[in-house]
Amino acid sequence: MRRTLAALLVEAARAHPEVLILTGDHGYALFDELRKTRPEQYVNCGVAEQNMVGVAAGMAKAGFRPIVYGLASFIPIRVLEQIKLDVCYEGLPVIFLGDGAGLVYSTLGASHQCFEDVAALRPLPNISIFSPADRFELVWSFKRARRLNGPSYLRLGKADLGDVHAEPLPDEFDHCVRGVIDASRENVCLASGSMVAISKRVIEREGLDYDLYSVLKLKKLEPQQILDLCQGRKRIIVVEEHSIYGGLGSAVAEIIAGRLQCSFQIGGIQDRFTEHCGTYEYLLSHHQLDEAAILNLLQTH
Amino acid sequence: MSTVASANQSFDPIALRQAVLDMAYNGSSVHIACAFSIVEILAVLYRKHLRYPDGRYDHPLRDYLVLSKGHGVMAQYACLIEMGWIEPGAATNYFKDGTRLHGLSEVGIPGLEVTSGSLGHGLSVGAGLAFAAKRRNTRQMCYAIVGDGEANEGPIWEALLFAAQFKLDNLIVIIDKNNYQAMGLTSEVLSTEDLETKLVAFGFDATTIDGHDEGAIDSALSIYQSRKDGRPKGIVAETIKGRGISFMENNNTWHYRRLSANTYGAASTELRRRSR
Repeated sequence: MRRTLAALLVEAARAHPEVLILTGDHGYALFDELRKTRPEQYVNCGVAEQNMVGVAAGMAKAGFRPIVYGLASFIPIRVLEQIKLDVCYEGLPVIFLGDGAGLVYSTLGASHQCFEDVAALRPLPNISIFSPADRFELVWSFKRARRLNGPSYLRLGKADLGDVHAEPLPDEFDHCVRGVIDASRENVCLASGSMVAISKRVIEREGLDYDLYSVLKLKKLEPQQILDLCQGRKRIIVVEEHSIYGGLGSAVAEIIAGRLQCSFQIGGIQDRFTEHCGTYEYLLSHHQLDEAAILNLLQTH
Repeated sequence: MSTVASANQSFDPIALRQAVLDMAYNGSSVHIACAFSIVEILAVLYRKHLRYPDGRYDHPLRDYLVLSKGHGVMAQYACLIEMGWIEPGAATNYFKDGTRLHGLSEVGIPGLEVTSGSLGHGLSVGAGLAFAAKRRNTRQMCYAIVGDGEANEGPIWEALLFAAQFKLDNLIVIIDKNNYQAMGLTSEVLSTEDLETKLVAFGFDATTIDGHDEGAIDSALSIYQSRKDGRPKGIVAETIKGRGISFMENNNTWHYRRLSANTYGAASTELRRRSR
């Protein structure tokens, strides 16, 4: 997924001279090729994220198409007000890339773990939010975001979990939700980001009676599409590597509340910080988002 | 490119202050003193320096005026009325239900480039605009008006570092040093003293002037526009908060106080007396 992102950035910069890629001194190897081939379109703004977002707004006002890269803990969390006032209020076409969202930086602790980004951004008018689950969804999300005439956020989580789709999403695909297991089963699991791959493994291995859909665009969801997918199911389970407050689960609940009679539960990070240091897998287990916990959620709910 | 100001646009500071008083009285608004300290700076900019090709506030090749200290917006509204970009009735309708003009700078109003008032935002946006203009070699200037109280904000200093790093010599940062912020003297709240020294230390070409001396403002702007030496420019404009009305000058209650019929009358009378 990371290699795909690097290639997308180079491709966008090559094709469009008005694309500027801004970073707050993060990214390491991600920008190697870009710096080599399009150095003038790579702008390292230093460890000064608030200024970087204001600068991106100014660039966008003047007709450039900035892509702002950072870790999700900083872009969007540290700079939320800049995104709101400098970018969203005017509806400027700035793409924000929030890398390492969720528990990816498991060993770096609370400063780098981020499970509140979607909740923080969802109430801001004008912004679109994407949460790709694999490289195919990343390509689709990036291209969609590039076509928008307003701000967008790409939530980039754990990047090495493999593909969930067998092939690229067709260019004409224009929905928020993409089927992964689409077999008219009794129950439905809606997942985003890393949780799509993990839920897929569990459902396939255990042969659970669940369809699985990847929600790759979290804002705006299409209410009718969500209702159609959920209609007539016995159980609806939402799984996300994000707080149970304000993320995909909340967004789905806002749509189905009062409209559907069914069992509904959100699997996500409870109201607490991570207590211990450890691997990504350890933290998934700690927050009950590993395969065993997902299996438990899907089976016993 | 030419300036849009025509012969009948004088941007007379006394008339601008009267327009501010009218708005503030009609809208029962605060921040009058914040607007009064930047009247001469805005008057000189609009009268002589800001270039709006075809008289268009949205022309892609316009100069940019960024009011980072959004609290002074009434002074800018007064100029925008004179530019003909907002209707004169805006002064009498200020703050009425369903009207457009807010108490702080907001994009979407012709002539306002940034949404500010949450402080420390505008200068960064201005740096982005200056970056874009330099990248395109358009000769556009960007003027950013920052408050000395606003300089409490961290992003101001991030933006100064950025401007120097990217050699934004088309950016002129004008610091309205009126020595006060909302709750008291800046020196007593969170001091931003020695601003010129600070600007120079950050890589700026900087100077200090009397911010109410129109000749000094004009001269500093003219010198800095032509000095393309890779350094961003800083003008520390020493001003008086509440300038122009004796009972408001250096009386920080006028950051928040609203005009009564009496104070509005007294202030208007004082302006009329000065204009003779």
